[in-house]
Amino acid sequence: MSRARTLSWDWFPGTIPDNVIVDDTAYIETSFSFQFFRSQVPGGVTYGRGASTYLGTMFDVGSTGRVTLGDCALVHGARIICDAEVSIGDHALISWNVVLMDSYRVPLNAQERRRELELVPTRPLRLACAAVPARPIRIGRCVWIGFDACVLPGITIGEGSIVGARSVVAENVPSFTVVAGNPARIVRKLEPCDLTAHAIH
Amino acid sequence: MSETPSTRIAGWLQGELPANVTIGANSLVTGELAFKRFHSKLANALTLGAHCTMDGVHFDLGANGKMTIGDYCYFTNTVLLCELEIRVGNYVVIGWNTTVTDTDFHPLGPAERVADAIACSPLGKGRPRPEVLKKPVLIEDNVWIGPNATILKGVRIGSGAFIEAGSLVTRDVPARARVLGNPAQVIGEIP
Repeated sequence: MSRARTLSWDWFPGTIPDNVIVDDTAYIETSFSFQFFRSQVPGGVTYGRGASTYLGTMFDVGSTGRVTLGDCALVHGARIICDAEVSIGDHALISWNVVLMDSYRVPLNAQERRRELELVPTRPLRLACAAVPARPIRIGRCVWIGFDACVLPGITIGEGSIVGARSVVAENVPSFTVVAGNPARIVRKLEPCDLTAHAIH
Repeated sequence: MSETPSTRIAGWLQGELPANVTIGANSLVTGELAFKRFHSKLANALTLGAHCTMDGVHFDLGANGKMTIGDYCYFTNTVLLCELEIRVGNYVVIGWNTTVTDTDFHPLGPAERVADAIACSPLGKGRPRPEVLKKPVLIEDNVWIGPNATILKGVRIGSGAFIEAGSLVTRDVPARARVLGNPAQVIGEIP
């Protein structure tokens, strides 16, 4: 994959970056999603079989970031802020205006943050991209995240779980669990099941 | 303030920057909707400092709104709703899709709200709107506000405070506090 790829249905005159791996059965609504994509690593984004991203999804991925979308994962307008790794499992459903961030992009220390902010106006894209430790986000298979929710750096959400709309996930979520609220709390448990039973092979 | 701000602003009000807006040197304002809802009639209604990046920010100032933003601020797709006063210090970061407002927008009392709905409707031509509660918002230097957060009227956010993503801030935040939640609670302190 080294030639510039465009989407015949795209309203935005952009291309899919070379290091984005797209399965033949995946769907990308628009290359606009890659406007802030700066990853230099192979597989900066990987689309699994039948994975899809729709309008409003933004891959705000730094030079060393890597995002993976599992089979039939559906991302309908999330802001993915990634400097390390954001992995989204098979059959996961991510709603609009969801924020998945594995980095704060600026130092926590105010003095260091000031220095970073003094550099922002000197950069071509005027982005904050301080080398602060990023902590990977792992979203399990068949997780459903409601609209406007935020997932903070370092969070793992176990398979089959649900995050209610507008929740802020600040602690890990076990498998087959419903969480909601800001900060998100466990609301109930779901009956665990075999998530591969209905998958298309 | 410099006479030659490197502003890349276009697409609203025929591209005219309102006369009561001052933008400092090397500050950048992008987005077609930046001044779409800018209605302030005050002199020096919006003063933006130098070296700021205002990417997709909405400056929604009412007729009597006044806003000052310091130097080296960095906002992304922030909605600033100002009917009275919003003051932002230097080195403030506000994340994607965050709203800051200094007003309740409508009265709390049901009867007043009926009057307001009529005044706002196509039938209410020229009818005055009832009083709405407004209180200034003050965001001090070095504050970091994450994406999807909401800052409500009357709040003072102390210097160096860290507002986690998605927080809804209804009360004052002490300097260097780390807050999270709806309503936002202090969960720690920034060293």
